[in-house]
Amino acid sequence: MRIKSLVAALLSTGAVSLAYADITVGVLVSATGPAASLGIPEKNTFALMPTTIAGEKVKYIVLDDASDTTTAVKNTRKLITEDKVDVIIGSTITPNSLAMVDIAAEAETPMISMAASARIVDPVDAKRRWVFKTPQNDVQMSTAITEHMGNNNVKTVAFIGFSDAYGEGWWQEFSKIAEVRKIKMVASERYNRADTSVTGQVLKIMSTNPDAVLIAGSGTPAALPQKTLKEKGYKGKIYQTHGVANNDFLRVCGKDCEGTFLPAGPVLVATQLPDSNPVKKSALDYIGKYEKAHGAGSVSTFGAHAWDAGLLLANAAPAALKKGKPGSKAFRTALRDALEQTKNLNAAHGVFNMTPSDHLGLDQRSRVMVKIEGGKWVLQK
Amino acid sequence: MMQRLPLIVFIAVLALGPVVLPEFYVTLLNYIGMYSIVAVGLVLLTGVGGLTSFGQAAFVGLGAYATGYLTTAFAVSPWLTLLIGLAVTAVVALILGFLTLRLSGHYLPLGTIAWGISLYFLFGNLEFLGGHTGLTGIPVLEFFGLKLDTGRSFYYLIWLALLGAVFATQNLLDSREGRAIRALKGGGLMAEAMGVDTARTKIVIFLIAALYASVSGWLYAHLQRFVNPTPFGLHIGIEYLFMAVVGGAAHVWGALVGAGVITVLKQWLQDLLPKVFGQSGNFEVIFFGILLILVLQRARDGLWPWLARLVPVKAGQRAVADAAPLPRREMPVVGAVLLEVKNARKQFGGLVANNDMNLTVKAGEVMALIGPNGAGKSTMFNCISGVDPVTSGEIAFLGERIETLASRDIARRGMGRTFQHVRLLPTMSVLENVAIGAHLRGGKGVLPAALHLERAEEARLLAEAKRQLERVGLGEHLFDEAGSLPLGQQRILEIARALAADPCLLLLDEPAAGLRYLEKQALAELLRKLRSEGMGILLVEHDMDFVMGLADRVVVMEFGEKISEGLPEEVQKDPVVLEAYLGGVE
Amino acid sequence: MDLQIALLLSQDGIVNGSIYALLALALVLVFAVTRVIFIPQGEFVAYGALTLAAFQAGKTPGTLWLLLGAGVLVALIDTVIAVRAGAPGRLKRIALWDLALPAVVAGLVLGLQPATLPLAAQVALALAVVVPLGPMLYRLAYQPLAEASVLVLLIVSVAVHLALVGLGLLFFGAEGSRTTPFSEAQFNLGTLTVNGQTLWVLGASCVLIVALALFFGRTLYGKALRATAINRVGARLMGISTSMAGKLSFTLAAGIGALSGILIAPITTIYYDTGFLVGLKGFVAAIIAGLASYPLAAAGAILVGLLESFSSFWASAFKEVIVFTLIIPVLLWRSLTSHHVEEEE
Repeated sequence: MRIKSLVAALLSTGAVSLAYADITVGVLVSATGPAASLGIPEKNTFALMPTTIAGEKVKYIVLDDASDTTTAVKNTRKLITEDKVDVIIGSTITPNSLAMVDIAAEAETPMISMAASARIVDPVDAKRRWVFKTPQNDVQMSTAITEHMGNNNVKTVAFIGFSDAYGEGWWQEFSKIAEVRKIKMVASERYNRADTSVTGQVLKIMSTNPDAVLIAGSGTPAALPQKTLKEKGYKGKIYQTHGVANNDFLRVCGKDCEGTFLPAGPVLVATQLPDSNPVKKSALDYIGKYEKAHGAGSVSTFGAHAWDAGLLLANAAPAALKKGKPGSKAFRTALRDALEQTKNLNAAHGVFNMTPSDHLGLDQRSRVMVKIEGGKWVLQK
Repeated sequence: MMQRLPLIVFIAVLALGPVVLPEFYVTLLNYIGMYSIVAVGLVLLTGVGGLTSFGQAAFVGLGAYATGYLTTAFAVSPWLTLLIGLAVTAVVALILGFLTLRLSGHYLPLGTIAWGISLYFLFGNLEFLGGHTGLTGIPVLEFFGLKLDTGRSFYYLIWLALLGAVFATQNLLDSREGRAIRALKGGGLMAEAMGVDTARTKIVIFLIAALYASVSGWLYAHLQRFVNPTPFGLHIGIEYLFMAVVGGAAHVWGALVGAGVITVLKQWLQDLLPKVFGQSGNFEVIFFGILLILVLQRARDGLWPWLARLVPVKAGQRAVADAAPLPRREMPVVGAVLLEVKNARKQFGGLVANNDMNLTVKAGEVMALIGPNGAGKSTMFNCISGVDPVTSGEIAFLGERIETLASRDIARRGMGRTFQHVRLLPTMSVLENVAIGAHLRGGKGVLPAALHLERAEEARLLAEAKRQLERVGLGEHLFDEAGSLPLGQQRILEIARALAADPCLLLLDEPAAGLRYLEKQALAELLRKLRSEGMGILLVEHDMDFVMGLADRVVVMEFGEKISEGLPEEVQKDPVVLEAYLGGVE
Repeated sequence: MDLQIALLLSQDGIVNGSIYALLALALVLVFAVTRVIFIPQGEFVAYGALTLAAFQAGKTPGTLWLLLGAGVLVALIDTVIAVRAGAPGRLKRIALWDLALPAVVAGLVLGLQPATLPLAAQVALALAVVVPLGPMLYRLAYQPLAEASVLVLLIVSVAVHLALVGLGLLFFGAEGSRTTPFSEAQFNLGTLTVNGQTLWVLGASCVLIVALALFFGRTLYGKALRATAINRVGARLMGISTSMAGKLSFTLAAGIGALSGILIAPITTIYYDTGFLVGLKGFVAAIIAGLASYPLAAAGAILVGLLESFSSFWASAFKEVIVFTLIIPVLLWRSLTSHHVEEEE
């Protein structure tokens, strides 16, 4: 393990003498409210993270923002000023993360977001200098879908997504790329997570007779449009997003989801990856730990974003510890610098290579196309 | 001075806050301040005015989005966007208020839920407002070159705005308009009869509450420098209402207590519960709900009344300053016909309560309307005073047809009345109850009241109320709660209230009921004096000694119809009347 | 939009509307009897559906522990009151309803392995777990405040709603569930395809509405509830206890809510927080009926369902905006046409 070797190296150089204060990690997840299905596996993941990094004790303070922006901001301020955290990991969703950017920058505290939108880290300006993120951008996932559509002769696509930031982000990115790829968007519909019926939207979509339908929802609520499409006799291709990549979705969607395509982080199909894939080992490592704690089949790709944030931190902290004590401004600044210099870090969702202009650092290795076959996720080559 | 001491201490502590407190507590206080501004509006609207709104968060959103959009898209000065935001909110609130405030009872909360949800989804689906993702890059406020870019500097702005709202609201409630507002809850019918336009008053408080919310939204946008729809959804609207109710919905300071308790409690639970249960997140909302239920079960009026008792300073009895008397109406000459009822008919569904009623009242006479219970006397009163208009027939007052007018317009023309079942505001002082009667004799509106620029007029109104109370013999009870008086005195209070309007015709519904002998004599003396001043009095009364000793003419009713009319001694001998009262004389 | 689509949308609207109708009836009932605007009605929908789903997944639903806990709590409070009042005669009743009943239900759930039972037995068991929560909730949250104003009761309702949603997340997690359909049958009516579950929903709604009408019209308890609804003081003078009427109406409301959830769970995914919006739409329907008329509430519910269905076809992003904005004129009309006397609170 990299960390172990790093720890050993640090021990031998006597860096341990710096060890006074613990490294304090402030974590903000949306464990309740509409984004709970994303936030809960993230929250669970923090319990699995290393309790020491480079010989320093690490303290994780996990707070819930209830998927609400105001609470996210309030809790971020609390973590920074009360708990004097060295780094903030969070939040789960885009609006909350966007609202937190200002605070992190103002307090000069590095922040690693677990939300999808590219706007959180792009462009890297004076404020976003302090902000990193682990999930693939929607645009990367969108590209994967459009590529797949292009290869499968899909010319017209109808879109149905959540009536929230998730659906909106997908619509914006996907419709842009689709245009470039000469794929025609024939419908754009919205529905709410808690809706009991999407018949109206589905009928509208079917009246446009699209080659494929893209459903942009997360977790089990993404099953409703798919089931309704099947029920009304839709025969074309159905694409989902990586938001559905957990076993609850398969449970609820059942046979109606057979043949569905979706882009996802490689962690979803880690066992099917070739051994040569650098992500395989780190992804399996995470899955093993999570399922040991929460039972077989319980892992979701969202928890893996949290895990990757932890990996980024564990990777950068040793270098930062050399420059300052946890709790000091010097440490935070050094941690930011070290995060920005992350190179070839194998994580559950891909390989991170950060640069001063790229605070995500994931490449095409961070996504694969997956098909649902026989109630299982099957990697598409 | 002693009464103001807690307030002065409070403000001093507040001012010191950012100097001594750690950053996070300043942050919390900032949020408490912003929430309180909204909650103060809800105290006015819901606690005092009795109009429940779940939609205030949407108004906060209007203020926040107005400035968020204009400052980021057009670089408009934030100080200008405050005004624009207020204007936008005012327009939307007027439209919504016009639509939903007509909703009665439980329709209103649902109406507010409906537009609360609508506006939330509108914010989220309008692309120029940043959609569900939100607007970033809202500029920092600058105040004469001073950048309000930290929580500490923003603190003073928030709390100044809040204290402004608190004092404006308190001033408003302690004024002529304020009494009208306080009468809305449980006294709307009475207030209308005293000349208050309750529909307008409702719109006014709805507008004020919306504007407070808008200011809070403007502050929120510039403190957070980011807006998205979630803070303006229905569940936050519900939370604002919680704050007002937990703090004590009828008390302006309760809004602060409520906002403070709920904000701190949430924070505290978030820290405490994971320690107790070893798992964070899910327990807070459960505990929160249960705690709220307990608060409501144990302290239904909220925490403020309970807290106020702990503060050792009692609200002192104010003296009513002497002030120039209000101008009086010119009285009609004695003997002129004041009121003329012709063929009046009132029907409730199939039930005819009044049929073919005719009567007149002249200036300077006491006309008594008598009859057994259920004869339709009070119905007649309601028809005359416009509280419940006639089905057909003519009613003329001072030569003008009034049967289609609203009760407040009839009051304006010089008709005063009391109610058979007393209609007082039991928690308000005797003096203030009577001052409602003088509503139409003042003219200063909401804004002067909020700034207390109407004190001269207010002093004259209160002095008038005091004069009338002394006249009816309640001078000892000016500052007692009206509900604490015995029923007989409450009836007398109603007479004082009617007199405070300076009427030329007085409708008294069983004024002597519940009075002792001496009190009755004093009342009779008062009515004789009023008569000698040229006032016309229409009296419904069961006490025959009282009636016969006082009345100039008597009309007798039975089963909704007039069965006899004449001088007291004539009527007493009329066999039809004797039969009605005694069940027939053989 | 052609006729085919219009028909499909109408069908969808009517099915959803019939669920709203059931909830609206329960809301009208609870309000009329107790003056409580029962916002937590929606949580019973979710609890009913998710408890059944938990049985089918072979899990023990958390609602069972809630039932046992609430039973013990009610028993404690009532025992203290009974002892203080010197009325030990009440203890037997307390032991029966608050302790023995939940214990029997728990015994059945834990002993029978519900996943292996036929669907009807599963449904019965799910109802047995969820429905007794209704009267217990009334006892714990509302009964101490029975004389409070409508506003206070409304706020308590919102607080109860919050607590129950929080518990729902704890019991069932954030992800949703579906249950096995009552019927997999499909029927073709011309160009329309109607599946069996839809007919179940419609049929059950109609049966329930008729059953309620009979209950109120023919039975002693139903008449007692109506008496309480019309005149609380009068009913009490006639020996109908307010708390009995309250508990009865909450039992009915919990039963209707749980059954609605069980009916729609095969058609749509149910989440721990599904109930609120569903309940709110039932509430809208109930308000259209002035919180008083049962047939109007049912009609209002169908109207809401249709409105929702058609607006999700025309402008899905603005569906809620359309549904909730169009409600306002309806409310206005209701408010203006109904004669109302000033309420004294």
